[in-house]
This record gives sequence, structure tokens and C-alpha cells, in this order.
Amino acid sequence: MSHLLNHHLQAIKLVLRRMRMSALSTFVICLVIAVALCLPSLFYLGVDNLAKLGNHMQSETEISLFLKSDISPENTAKIEAALAQHPDIAEYHFVSRDEAWSQLQRKSAGNADISNAIQHLGSNPLPDAFFIQAKSTEPAQLEMLRDRLQRLEGVEQALLNAEWAKRLAMILNLGRQFVLFVGLLLAIVLLVVIGNTIRMQMLTQKSEIEVSYLIGATNSFIKIPFLYAGAFYGLFGGMLSVLMIATMITSFNLSVTEISTLYGSDFKLNLLNIKLYLAIIAIAVITGWIGAYVAVSRAIRQIRLQ
Amino acid sequence: MIRFDNVSKRYPGSDEILKNISFNIDAGEFVFVTGHSGAGKSTLLKLIAATELPSRGTVLIANQNVSQLKASAIPYLRRRFGLIFQDHKLLFDRNCFENVVLPLRINGVAEQEAAKRVRAALDKVGLLNKEKVMPITLSGGEQQRLAIARAVVSRPAILLADEPTGNLDAEYAAEIMNIFRAFHQVGVTVIMSTHDALGMSNQHRVLHLHQGSLSDMHIQNMSENSQPGVAS
Repeated sequence: MSHLLNHHLQAIKLVLRRMRMSALSTFVICLVIAVALCLPSLFYLGVDNLAKLGNHMQSETEISLFLKSDISPENTAKIEAALAQHPDIAEYHFVSRDEAWSQLQRKSAGNADISNAIQHLGSNPLPDAFFIQAKSTEPAQLEMLRDRLQRLEGVEQALLNAEWAKRLAMILNLGRQFVLFVGLLLAIVLLVVIGNTIRMQMLTQKSEIEVSYLIGATNSFIKIPFLYAGAFYGLFGGMLSVLMIATMITSFNLSVTEISTLYGSDFKLNLLNIKLYLAIIAIAVITGWIGAYVAVSRAIRQIRLQ
Repeated sequence: MIRFDNVSKRYPGSDEILKNISFNIDAGEFVFVTGHSGAGKSTLLKLIAATELPSRGTVLIANQNVSQLKASAIPYLRRRFGLIFQDHKLLFDRNCFENVVLPLRINGVAEQEAAKRVRAALDKVGLLNKEKVMPITLSGGEQQRLAIARAVVSRPAILLADEPTGNLDAEYAAEIMNIFRAFHQVGVTVIMSTHDALGMSNQHRVLHLHQGSLSDMHIQNMSENSQPGVAS
């Protein structure tokens, strides 16, 4: 047991020493790995944050019915009667333009910019509106209902709030597939880069490997340092990639804070996404190990044949 | 300890290099393998070290049939031997210490113990003060001595040397021979090939190869005092 441990410790020491001796080329390889990992990770972050935003909104399958600003009270009553009778509508409530106006003023009281803007408007620009909750949540039925409501007289616009959320969900799905696809492609790139690096290293150490075999080295004695090298390239590349992502998120957050305070939002990318970071490093280490394993097996066969 | 029974060796696309060789080497012997270049000396040593397998016949090392060993067992068999090659096979990208420590790394010897043993081995071949020197700066004789240090550092019971003095002048060759004799005196079995009959000592057993056959097998016992290791 201690023999085996000693074996591995020696291999790790050897690999780290070799990496230190060729620090620059090691850094370049790690940089390539880091950049390759960054791309799908950033896409993933983007999609993930959009999805969070989308989930927040998706629960509202509400139809907003904005009425013409010059509508007569009789017309409004007629529309309300139609809504009350409609079999597809679960509930609805009416918000008059005055109510909406005071609501807006109340909500924006905390934000000086917006309340200033409201002051400048002077008169109330908002229309009367019905907010309707449909019985169904099916997109097709909701759309049919919206189209029917749109045709009522005195209706300026019928908005299906869920619509953009649905579209967003579709785009997000596409985005996730794209992330997966890009991730797979770059994983292949990583395999090739690491595999090739390891293979070149083995060829430069060919004479050592040959002599080692002659004086009784086992296959695993030859393989283990190179497998560790692959894993270490992955580890360092993964760590560098995490560092790069964290830096990008921080600088993104700095610039986005200015914009989002303008909109009264506290939207921010989450900096401490430990799970994502661990996943990136784990994937890098595993990919490095696999790349090294394939390369080592091939190179050993090549060397032993000679 | 080492037993060949009707061993033949043929490489793909060549004639038989060894034909029906049979012999037995006991522990503690000092054996020369002689013959012209191309007579099959190197092949014979490779068969002993299990770096080649016989085409026919059986090679028994410590009662193990080499042909029937699993591939994973062969490295452990090889560790019984200290191998010295005609071209040294030293690693020129590292210093003397790192060259000699390689077999101990393979054997998984702990670092401190390994350092002690490396210095002991370098001391035996008279290179203790060259520990940190790169092998490329050593003379031919010193390089061969370094190769011997690497072969003996793991304290093998058998030393296999393929023409260790082949490329050296007389003085260096004598030095090398004395080192081998010293190991033999402490009980190590030494098997050494040489193409030069005069280069060998005279009180030892000789396996003579001629065109792949072991045509001659005798123990020379001439003058005890003649200068060993000198090639004329």
C-alpha cells in the first residue's frame, strides 16, 4: 500500500517538476484549455440567467386588455358584461386609469429618476384596463381568446403576457442545445490538445521509456506520470478558466449595475456559482485524464513496437 | 538458475540466429559469451533478460518458463537482472545521480533510502564525486562505469553485460573488468558477452557461439596471473 502511494507521490512530484521546468509551454496549454472551457461556460451562464428571469414571469398567463383612451362608460360596461359571460375566462378585474396612475406613482416613489419623469408627464397617459385570467393555460387556446378579445369594440390592444415568456422558453431551449453542442465540440478540442501534448512529451522521453522497460518497469509505472500530467493540465486549465469567468462576471456586474439601477432592478449575475466552477474543473480534469490515457496507450504501443 | 533447453531464435524474415542452444548457468558463476559479431551473443543475452522470447525451446529463469509468463510478470523477472548495454543507454537529459536512481524509482524505493543506495553504487564504480555531473561530459570509460552503477544499484543477483568493454581502450577495459570481478567475488552471477577472446579473464567459464550454434563450451584454466581485461 505504502509502495503504491510512494509510486504515485513520486509520479506527481516528477510531473510537477517537469511542468515547472517548462513553465511557459505549460501555461500556454493551460490557457488554451481555459479559453476552450470559458466559451461554453459563458454561454451556459447567459442561458441560465435568462432562464431564471423567464421562470419569474412564466407563471403569469394573464391577458391584459387595454381600452381606448376615449372610451365611453357604456362601452366599458358592455365589455365587462361580455367578459363575465365568456366561458373561457376564470376571473378578471378592472383597473381604471386613475388607479393605475396612483399605483405607478406609489411604486416609483423610491426611485427619484422615474418619479421625476412622471412629474414631467403632468397628465395621466394610462388607459383603463381589464386583467383577465383564463381557465386554460394552453398557448393555442390563450391565443384564440386573445384574438377574440382584440376584436371587441373599444379595445385598443389585447396582450397575452405569457407569449413572450413562451418564446423565451423556446429560445432558451435552443440555447441549451447550443451550449451542449459547443461544449461537446470544445471537449473534443480539449481531448486533442491534451492528447497531442502528452504524446509529444512521451516521444521526447522515448529513450527513458525504452530504458525503463528494459530494466523492469511495468506499464503502469510508465503510464502514471503522463496520466497525472493530463489531469494536471485539466486542473490548472480549469482553475484558470474559473478565474477568467469570475473576472468577466465581476466586470459585467459593475457595468450592469449602472443600467439596472436606472430600471430599478437589482439584476446581477451570480458571482459565486460554486457548482458551475466545480463542474468546470471536474470536466477539465476528467477530459485531461481521458485525453492522456488515449495518447499514452497509443504512444506506448508505438514505442514498444520499435 | 538459468537454463536453456534446445532454444532457437529466429526474427521475422531472417535465418535462425540461435540454433538448438542448451546450457545451464548456476548462481555465482562468471560466464563469458564469446563469438564473432553477428554470432548471436546479444540475442542470447536478450533471451536471458526476457527482452526477447525464444522461437523454439524453453528458457527457464529461476525455474520459471519465460515463454509462459504473463506479460505483466515479465517486468518483475527483469528486475532480477542488472543490465549493461554496449551503448550504455544512459539518459543524457539528467545528471549521474538521476540516471542511477531510475531502477530504484521503478522498484518504488523511498527517496532517502534510494539516495543512500545511489551514492553507494556510484562509490563502487568510483564516480561518487560526479553525482551532479551530466553524463555527456564523462569519458567513455566513466560512462560505462555509470551504466554499471545503474545496473547494480538495485542489487540484482545477476549482471548481464553486452560487450561492456567493446568500445573502450585497454586501460578502461581493465578497469571495467575489475569492477565486474569485484561484484562476482561478493556472489553476483556475471554473464558477459565479448567478441574479443583476449579481452576476457581466463579462469572463467566460456560459452562460445559460432554461426548460431553453441559449438564450444569449456572452462579455460590457464595462467592465473595473466593481465585480465586487456585487449591487444
